[in-house]
Amino acid sequence: MPTLVRKSLGEYRRALIGWTVGLCAFLGMYISIYASMMNDPETFSKQAIAKYPGALRDLMGGMADIATGRGYLQAVAYQLLGPLLFTMCAAILGNRAIAGPEEAKTLELTLTLPIDRRRLLLERWAALALGLLAVALVTLAVATGASSAADMDVPFGSILAAHTGLFLLVLFFGTLTLCVGAAFGRKQVALAVVGVWGVAGYIVETMGKSIDAISWLRWISPVHYYLDGRPLYQGWPYGDYLVLLGATAVLLMTALLAFERRDVGV
Amino acid sequence: MTAVVETEGLTKFYGTRRGLEDLTLEIRQGEVFGYLGPNGAGKTTTIRLLLDVIRPTSGRATVLGADTRDPRVRARIGYLPGELALEGRERARDYLQFLADVRGGVSRGRIDELAERLDADLSIRMGELSKGNKQKVGLIQAFMHEPELLILDEPTSGLDPLVQQEFLAMVREARTAGHTILMSSHVLAEVEHVADRVGIVRAGRLVAVEDIAALRERAVRHVELHFDAPVPKESFEGLPGVRDVVVRGASLRCTIDGRPDALIKAAARYTVVHMVSAEPDLEEIFLTYYSEEEGRHAHAGA
Ligand SMILES: Nc1ncnc2c1ncn2[C@@H]1O[C@H](COP(=O)(O)OP(=O)(O)OP(=O)(O)O)[C@@H](O)[C@H]1O
Ligand SMILES: [Mg+2]
Repeated sequence: MPTLVRKSLGEYRRALIGWTVGLCAFLGMYISIYASMMNDPETFSKQAIAKYPGALRDLMGGMADIATGRGYLQAVAYQLLGPLLFTMCAAILGNRAIAGPEEAKTLELTLTLPIDRRRLLLERWAALALGLLAVALVTLAVATGASSAADMDVPFGSILAAHTGLFLLVLFFGTLTLCVGAAFGRKQVALAVVGVWGVAGYIVETMGKSIDAISWLRWISPVHYYLDGRPLYQGWPYGDYLVLLGATAVLLMTALLAFERRDVGV
Repeated sequence: MTAVVETEGLTKFYGTRRGLEDLTLEIRQGEVFGYLGPNGAGKTTTIRLLLDVIRPTSGRATVLGADTRDPRVRARIGYLPGELALEGRERARDYLQFLADVRGGVSRGRIDELAERLDADLSIRMGELSKGNKQKVGLIQAFMHEPELLILDEPTSGLDPLVQQEFLAMVREARTAGHTILMSSHVLAEVEHVADRVGIVRAGRLVAVEDIAALRERAVRHVELHFDAPVPKESFEGLPGVRDVVVRGASLRCTIDGRPDALIKAAARYTVVHMVSAEPDLEEIFLTYYSEEEGRHAHAGA
């Protein structure tokens, strides 16, 4: 492994462990409640769900079949909270690549090593991608284990498809954070961009679907390519996932170009 | 002799704010070059330009014969940042090892040898190092790969006097090995005992480059002479290079610019019982560069 990737992973280690533990606890707890919910069918009966305002149901991805294993797993883990938490993890790690060290003034010495800036950025990104992959793999194992323990009856293939989408989504947001950081060197700016694009993208994708005036905005929402294919139900939405990957690649290229020509630390 | 650092019209504006303007400078192989100037003069700006951390607005610079953009050349440079930041839970030794690996390795025991000389404890987490100890780690990483060119931005800040002495010894050794050193400072006193030449920068412009030996010859010197009997003031007035003559009975005080020859010859007509000559005060010359500049500006403005 290249020295800088190893070194960056070392720097991410504590954060990675913390977020993995947190995400696993979240998944394990919420998924295991499923069993007790099923013992009390009243909670999620059609009538009970119908009491929620329509907009709220939209925001939660419909909740139409929340009483089934797939519906519950989607609503609880893959609809909102899972991606939200994992994206926060990706944004925090993404900021550690350039903007964090730049604000802390430790980047200057790294830059004066005999490594060109493109390689520096690529290796930092590789460490970010590997770190997120590790978190994704562990959480995949926990989601699979917990859902089979709760008798959800969701095949592994479906969970894998959904989890892959989750990984691609957070990789996109992590790369976005890194890219804004590489271009401007400010953590807050990067977090703001990720927050606005992520939250607006989610709202447009869920509530905006039915509003003609803004529904076209779904095409520029990364969340669209994560949710629209309903991988937990319909398997791999290859096209959508390729869009996420392609957008990530574009961001990475942008980051390389922006970082290459910039004054660092001013 | 070949130039190790060469700049031509090097200029850096931060937006509209001037950082450095039109710097043309040549640093030769094997010399110690002191880069002096008051706060905000442009020293750090120059150094960051040489290391390609920031990019010039105009002009060009080469180091060790290569464009500053060439990353390979940086393996042959040792750099100490002026605002050195070391953070985190990593131990100093591991960080140094990482830097050494990326630069292609250092000779065995080199890090420990330097740590011992500077009395640095490398087992401490970097975030917990005191300012002076951070500076020591910074010096170790700059010197450890025995680079051909050392660029040190305010290397002695935060160091106690004993460590400063050790640092100066390290600089001399590097020069003996044929390496080139560029070091910045606010005060001449910090560099005058190691530097061969000094450049003085002020408000973004290089105002002078001086040879230390020549500077010393021209320096203002305070001299005191004691005679066996009172002497007439007139015999010492109007002597070339002799100023501020004060005669009090049998003793005389004055300052001389440059050589003491005229004063000695005049004093030889009387019986000298005691003579005191202070070390030439280069700082005074150094300060006159600022006032002269100031004077010229005031004149131009009038
Ligand atoms: N990042 C920056 N943005 C805007 N102006 C800057 C920046 N860095 C430096 N400057 C300006 O450039 C000028 C030169 O600054 P520089 O840091 O090179 O001075 P210096 O000689 O290193 O000073 P010091 O002795 O205080 O370290 C100053 O006027 C400073 O205000
Ligand atoms: Mg400075």
